[in-house]
Amino acid sequence: MTDDRPPAAEPVIDARALTKEYPYAGDAVHALRGVDLRVDRGEWVAIVGPSGCGKSTLLNLLAGIDEPTGGEVRLVGTLLRSLHEGQRARLRLLSVGFVFQRFHLLPVLSAAENVELPMAEAGVERGERRRRARELLEYVGLGHRLRHRPPQLSGGEQQRVAIARALANRPALIFADEPTGELDRRTGEEVLDLFARLNAEGTTLVTVTHDARVAERAERAGRVVEMADGRIVNSEC
Amino acid sequence: MILALSLRSLLRRRSRTLLALAGIAVSAALLLDMTMLASGLTDSFGDLTRAQGYALRVTPKGTLPFDSEAGIRGASAVRRRIEAVAGVRSVAPTLGAQLYAARRDGTGEPLFTAGIDPRAQMLYVLTAGRAPGAGEIVASRPLAEAYGLSVGDSLSLAPELDLALGRPRGQRAYRVSGIGDFLYDYADERSLAMPLAEVQRLTRRLDEVSVFAVAARPGLDDRVLARRIEAAVPGVSVYSTESLMAAMDQRLLYFRQLATILGSVALVVTALLVGTIVAIGVRERFGEIAALRAIGVARRRLLLGIVAEGLVLAGVGCALGLPLGLWMAHRLDRILLAFPGLPARLSFFVFNAPRVAVALAVIVAAGALSGLLPGAGALRTPLGRALREEAE
Repeated sequence: MTDDRPPAAEPVIDARALTKEYPYAGDAVHALRGVDLRVDRGEWVAIVGPSGCGKSTLLNLLAGIDEPTGGEVRLVGTLLRSLHEGQRARLRLLSVGFVFQRFHLLPVLSAAENVELPMAEAGVERGERRRRARELLEYVGLGHRLRHRPPQLSGGEQQRVAIARALANRPALIFADEPTGELDRRTGEEVLDLFARLNAEGTTLVTVTHDARVAERAERAGRVVEMADGRIVNSEC
Repeated sequence: MILALSLRSLLRRRSRTLLALAGIAVSAALLLDMTMLASGLTDSFGDLTRAQGYALRVTPKGTLPFDSEAGIRGASAVRRRIEAVAGVRSVAPTLGAQLYAARRDGTGEPLFTAGIDPRAQMLYVLTAGRAPGAGEIVASRPLAEAYGLSVGDSLSLAPELDLALGRPRGQRAYRVSGIGDFLYDYADERSLAMPLAEVQRLTRRLDEVSVFAVAARPGLDDRVLARRIEAAVPGVSVYSTESLMAAMDQRLLYFRQLATILGSVALVVTALLVGTIVAIGVRERFGEIAALRAIGVARRRLLLGIVAEGLVLAGVGCALGLPLGLWMAHRLDRILLAFPGLPARLSFFVFNAPRVAVALAVIVAAGALSGLLPGAGALRTPLGRALREEAE
């Protein structure tokens, strides 16, 4: 389901009239009430807002993790509604990177193996994925920690491994959900520096945060989308 | 890589995994033993019956071999009629009796004595000496040891016991021509064999035998030959090894039921153990699994990894359970065979490779299924909800 427009003009995300309702105690909770959002290639968009305003719900819909009650999302030119779950998983694997608040690295795998995992799933040959895992970990400043397992790394180091993992399959964009939420100020800044570097080199970033520093860095490089009560109330350029 | 990940996840909680493996090994050992017990005695009995190549038994009508004191009269004529049946290779007559040997204190010891045809017999295998002629006996090893007998020695035997004195009456010395392993004796049983005519004379059961063992010509089905003999010789029952085993099976129904119940319990315990361990592991890794799904790892591959955990637990448990089960079977066999009157060569637990393979395969399959349930449950949770739950 690719867009007819030429690739250069194609937004990485094009969401229209998104609504999401959750059933609750016989009633419905309106998590999103008609959201339109377009993210172009190379942008850094920070979605901010108070707790419960629908930021994470929006991110889940944009990434094809959840299905909207109404509206539609085109992710890298593909209409998500037209895909079944397996196809959406494949699209995420090949076109999207994820960075989670709690890192979600696999503690039984080394840093390099954690980075290799999405490549293995994508069918990248072992030698190539080892080479690229090393390259990515060196890129995030952890070339000396290849064989260390997550419990042997600090929080900031784990988040950098998670960023390297997100980059493994050369995604069109990276979604980051509260990427500094579990980090102290200094290591949070290091991670934001890394995001800034990635964005400067052309990676599209969509971050969900209530951390003012993240919003500030995104505002400098791109724009901040402010949400309240399931709606976008401000989208600054 | 997902499979490797699953295996490493098991090692993440070593103590728990080891305890689970120990439990599965014990269950697998129990199932293995029950599988061996379910048909072990019958199989073992079948092997014993076929020993020396004599697969058929001809008994007095309506009786099982040595099941009563009844005998086949006119034995010489019956033997000739059996030998005349097409397909009969050899006929071995046996008359069971009790003779008495004098102990050192002069009292008589009852000994099972078999009257046999030294040219055609299926009771013993000689380990020393030769077959008995007139006035000679073959002693069982326990008898030879108890009386210090060697080939060439003599043993006094009597057909009767003086009930008032408890001493043998009408003793006569017999030369030991050989020492043998008696196939149907219970452990340490003192017994002997001598020419049939002598036993008939001593017991005044002239021209009578307890049973004929019949060997078929190669390639002929035992059951076919059994029918032919039954048709040719009136007044006898003919049992093929299969029919004797079936009769044995009927008598051992209790063992089979016991084995089935205990085996089923072992299987359920294994499934519960594997299911519990995998379910705990999946619950602990709920967030990791949700994250893997979010980054695009296919659900079926994650499920495969979780099922692999169950398979590995059950497979390794079975591998550990196999030697444990064999050791337990050996110990239990010795205990059960200590019951009096059971041939020492019988075995309650017989290792039958195809049946054991099926039993262990059932355990491994149960392990895989047990992994499937918690795995499918975790992967059925909508991804968005799983990530939200994890974040909370």
